[in-house]
Amino acid sequence: MRMNATRSRSGGAGGEMLEKLSLRLRVFLFFAALAVGVAGALILGLWVGYDRAGTPAALPGFVQAGLVAGFAALGLIVWVWYLFDINVARAIDILAGTIRARAHAEVSGGMDTAPARYLGDLAPAAAAVTETLAETRSALVEAVARETTRLSQEKARLEALLSDVPVGVLLCSGRHQLVFYNGHAVDLLAAGHAPGLNRTLFDYLREGPVRHAFARLGEAAAAGEPDLAADLLCATVTGARVLAGRMRLLDRVGDEAAPGYVLTLRDVTADMAAHARREALLDEVFDRLRRGAANVASLVAVQAEGGAAAVSPALADEAATLARAVVELADRHDRGRTEAWPLNPTRASDLFDSLRARIEGAGLTLGVEAPALILRCDGFALVALLGALAERLAGQGAHDFHLRLTDEPGPGALFTLSWEGPALGVGALDRWLDGPLEVGLADMTGRGVLARHGVEMWPGRDAGRPALCLPIREARVAGHRPPPVARAVVYDFELLGKAPAGAVAEAKLRDLTFVVFDTETTGLNPASDEIVQIAAVRLVNGRRIEGEVFDTLVDPGRKIPPASTEVHGITDAMVAGAPDIAEAGRAFHRFAEGAVLVAHNAPFDLAFLHRHAGAIGARFDHPVLDTVLLSAVVFGQHERHTLDALCHRLGIVIPEEARHTAIGDTVATADAFLKLMPMLEGRGMSTFTEVLAEVRRHGRLLRDMN
Amino acid sequence: MAGGQRVLVVEDEDNIAVALDYLLTREGYDHDRVASGGEAMARIRATRPDLVLLDVMLPEVSGYEICEDVRRDPALAGVKILMMTARGSAMERRKGLALGADGFISKPFELSELRDAVRAALDGARG
Repeated sequence: MRMNATRSRSGGAGGEMLEKLSLRLRVFLFFAALAVGVAGALILGLWVGYDRAGTPAALPGFVQAGLVAGFAALGLIVWVWYLFDINVARAIDILAGTIRARAHAEVSGGMDTAPARYLGDLAPAAAAVTETLAETRSALVEAVARETTRLSQEKARLEALLSDVPVGVLLCSGRHQLVFYNGHAVDLLAAGHAPGLNRTLFDYLREGPVRHAFARLGEAAAAGEPDLAADLLCATVTGARVLAGRMRLLDRVGDEAAPGYVLTLRDVTADMAAHARREALLDEVFDRLRRGAANVASLVAVQAEGGAAAVSPALADEAATLARAVVELADRHDRGRTEAWPLNPTRASDLFDSLRARIEGAGLTLGVEAPALILRCDGFALVALLGALAERLAGQGAHDFHLRLTDEPGPGALFTLSWEGPALGVGALDRWLDGPLEVGLADMTGRGVLARHGVEMWPGRDAGRPALCLPIREARVAGHRPPPVARAVVYDFELLGKAPAGAVAEAKLRDLTFVVFDTETTGLNPASDEIVQIAAVRLVNGRRIEGEVFDTLVDPGRKIPPASTEVHGITDAMVAGAPDIAEAGRAFHRFAEGAVLVAHNAPFDLAFLHRHAGAIGARFDHPVLDTVLLSAVVFGQHERHTLDALCHRLGIVIPEEARHTAIGDTVATADAFLKLMPMLEGRGMSTFTEVLAEVRRHGRLLRDMN
Repeated sequence: MAGGQRVLVVEDEDNIAVALDYLLTREGYDHDRVASGGEAMARIRATRPDLVLLDVMLPEVSGYEICEDVRRDPALAGVKILMMTARGSAMERRKGLALGADGFISKPFELSELRDAVRAALDGARG
């Protein structure tokens, strides 16, 4: 079959056909032809001798001589072929693979020249070439490393900055593919699945508002106003969140058709809900007051014309209803007041630190007494308020300030700011509160800060000293401070200028998105065993994206045999409460959407997933590449193609603790695949189709190598 | 019944003052009214009423301020204060009580509600 296909493609050109065959096969064919030739020559020679002898009785003698000579010649040829195959053809294959590993995959370290010891100076010469190559490279690498260190320090600073800003920041190409996102954006967008580089933004956000804003900016740029920003309001695809965004176009990169853009996002879901509730309340206020007032007015008109006795009970009833309505509505408004402002959980100790810094900055002293409470408040506003009050009090002779926070029965807490010096009257306090807190902050008054928190403030006494009391409506006891979460930014700016990859078959390998994955299982039989762990990483633009990792334990719904636990270390206790294969499979399918799947011995892992396609509700019909087969393509079929052997050849180290964990093996497979990619390209296979065609030639390879 | 106890109404709204006047008369209190915060302190010092019915929102000087001034003056120690407000949030009530008010009542109120509050404040005075 394969030969036929090759012949029809090469149109009968024998030389070209031969070149496509592997070296070892060609050597074999050469010796086979030699054997046939020798046999032919022997038969012909004996036939001519027998014919000349003219004695028919000598025939058995000639046949015996021919058989003995023929077997001896054939034996010699097979023996020579065997030596040639082992010491020349196979040695050349191994040597070529080793050289290619050094040329394309930047494998370093000395070459093993033993298999090529019968090739004369070839192996030492190749070793010398690769050594020189390594030296040149290392000199270059050192020079590059110096510059890179400087640049990477700057890059790290910018990354830290962008990962810490409390808004979601996205950068998209003109085709709305994600090029950059920060950790906050992950929180905002990750309703269904976490964002991934080079995915379309519309996997996460509704399309309309984004396209509309993009079109508006495009028109503005065409009209000569490239610096405009467009504000938009946009829901996530699931509708779970409403986000307020601002879009700004980037400079056009390369020959891209449309410029990319920066999109900053803020969650306004709560704001929108609070706004809607306030609107509803306001509508209700007007409705109930208008009706009551109209009724009272009508009844009073009747009363004025002498009908007092008739309408008096009705009037009383209306007035009571109206009064009840006002009280109830005011109460609801009061409760909903704090919703209108973003009040964040703030550690009392953080707030005290800021306030102390501010007060001590003004040359005053502040003693503090703070239980471990978390307050729901606008910390900045509270510090501004208390700081401004302390400074004003100091202007009237107050000193030796002390701030105490006490937990109150119920959900609240109470600040008590006391001092040595003259007391402050409630009248003076109220007048201060009505004015701006600081020069230049005309629209931030003390009264405004109190209203934002739904509280009042009043003078009091604390341990015999004059004081100010400020309650906070919501406080809770603080737990341990959680460790800071690594909120990395994820990006690849090269995606900005990149043309779309188009159909997988014709796309360049480098332009494809790959999801490399590995599973751990209860055993080796895909027909009856179950998955206990799935891990995957994404490769975009020829790079492993550190921040895009899928890693989950899976509850197999059965006992894990101790022999399997021995291999991967996953116990029954670890998978208790983990998602089942249906849920984990769905999540993995979303993670792998639109990508080429890569695994080491992919048929094994895929068999489990295919078997559960029904429960998962999705088919894993992605294009697939198998690193076992790619290794065979690159290094030849005679080598071992286990993951360990492949990594060893490519100079990839799998940390011992990571070996046989799904994520450890996945990362190793991904790194191996990334090194195999330039080696495939070096051998003229740069599209998916070309790689697949070559892989199929090696398709007979055994598949029990995991 | 009210034993000639004296009540001072500090209220700037004339209409509600009419209602208060009616109620206090009916209940037999000896009562008087000032319409602004500025006049209030002088009148309280001069007459030393048993109870001040004190509106919070007053022109010039707020009800809180008057309350605080009364409580600071030892000569006025026996004066009871019942604060009235149209806003009536829990925080305002807390502020009023913190400043020394004996009671706090939210407008609009029913006459019976006010009557009970006045009685309670004055009973506290006796007890």
